[in-house]
Amino acid sequence: MRNLAIRNLVIGTGIPVLLLVAWWFLSANSADPFFPPLETILLRFQELWLFDHFQSDVLLSLGNLFLGFAIAAVAGVALGFATALVPPVRWMIDPLIHFLRGIPPVALVPIFISLIGFGTQMRVTSIALAAFFPTMIATVDGIRSVSNDLMDVARVYRLSRKERVLNVLLPAAMPQIFSGLQVSLQVAFIVMIASEMLGSSQGIGAMTLLAQQSFMAADMWAGILLLGVIGFLVNILFGLLRGKVLSWYIGSRRLARAA
Amino acid sequence: MKVSIHPYALSAVGIAGALVIWQILSAANLAGNALPAATTVFATLASILGTGAFWSSLGATLGVALLALAVAAVAGVALGLLVGSFEPVRYATAAVLEFLKPVPPIVILPLAVLVLGPTAEMSFFLVVFGCLLPIVMQTVDGVQGADPVARDTARSYGMGEGEILARVVLPSAMPYIGTAMRVAAPAALVVTVVAGLLGGGPGLGQNIYQAQAAGDYASLYALVIVLGVLGLLFQAATRLAERRVLHWHESYREVVH
Repeated sequence: MRNLAIRNLVIGTGIPVLLLVAWWFLSANSADPFFPPLETILLRFQELWLFDHFQSDVLLSLGNLFLGFAIAAVAGVALGFATALVPPVRWMIDPLIHFLRGIPPVALVPIFISLIGFGTQMRVTSIALAAFFPTMIATVDGIRSVSNDLMDVARVYRLSRKERVLNVLLPAAMPQIFSGLQVSLQVAFIVMIASEMLGSSQGIGAMTLLAQQSFMAADMWAGILLLGVIGFLVNILFGLLRGKVLSWYIGSRRLARAA
Repeated sequence: MKVSIHPYALSAVGIAGALVIWQILSAANLAGNALPAATTVFATLASILGTGAFWSSLGATLGVALLALAVAAVAGVALGLLVGSFEPVRYATAAVLEFLKPVPPIVILPLAVLVLGPTAEMSFFLVVFGCLLPIVMQTVDGVQGADPVARDTARSYGMGEGEILARVVLPSAMPYIGTAMRVAAPAALVVTVVAGLLGGGPGLGQNIYQAQAAGDYASLYALVIVLGVLGLLFQAATRLAERRVLHWHESYREVVH
């Protein structure tokens, strides 16, 4: 059993390292214009992002991402609550919401460009609106799946409406809200890149696409690498936050599964 | 009866209200000509629907999305069964899969355009890349979730490994695969549009880019409406397909009262 665990650890860490080493050596003297040596890519990565364009482009992109996501999260949860708790509101906006959700989020970017222009405002608006729907829909689903028994108990204890919403509904819907937030974060990241690729000149996405259009393959690879790492890290950060906020839920799930 | 009419009436009011607000906003001329009137957009939509160019774009979009989805599904399930069945393979691929999972296809779009150019192949590649990983990961989870007792039972009935895979493991992974497909199908459409919009691949995405670049805002809005309807159809179709294929599974069975 111990041997097996060690074998798995060796395979688990060995193969990715091996892949990177293989990339390094196979590409070492590459003259292929599309696939430059990994060494060149890493060199350009360091020259571009650490820290020449860090403030002007990397921080700008990340700032837009987080601002847009934060607006979407707050608005999504708030409107989700309003929709779920007031049935007439739900009947009124449900079909609209589902139609808007069907539109590929990136397709909204050209509309915002034509309305607001190419600036930061457009990017944050696009990100916020696209990321809004997953959170809102998940919030509505989360609240509607809260058990009636729980609400009855809350009523028996004569909790006020405010207490019922904040202390009973919100925590009970939290796991679903977090699933929605995770999707929203993914969408926000995609729209962040798309809003930069469509005709702006700043940001990681814009620099990566410009590098491609001017056939600077190493710069393009460096951009792809940076975007990949950001996508990965943002997801990890979100996982940590979720683990913190939902520790009670994750713990109870584990107990339920063990039982 | 009265109660069941009520919600639909309000839905109609909601849609009508949104259209009226749209009309008023565009009449107020707040955004110049960038916000055309709802009536103009629907007139444009009607005239677009009458052109052959639109239908061939729609065909290109749907063709790429569906073909790539099918390829991703077959390859994803096969890879998932492989990764899920053999522990060493699972450990060998875990780090790579975990790193690539949160990376959306738009990240490698520049690379795809550089190598393949603004072609249908480029769109196809991006859609497969985007849909493959979720299907692989869900299939792996499904294989892991297969009931060990059912496996052992099959083995004691003398089934070979291949037969167990086909008759025990695959069916029990089906709901997981169904979930993955429900997510992947709309994503396939989205990625096809993105590849057209940002990478110049043929289809509706490219048309949207051209409409925006040319300042033809009525067409831009009309095309986005088409995409919204298409997105709804994709979602409905996958849900229907999932229910048909998985009607036997307990989470899909109709509850008998």
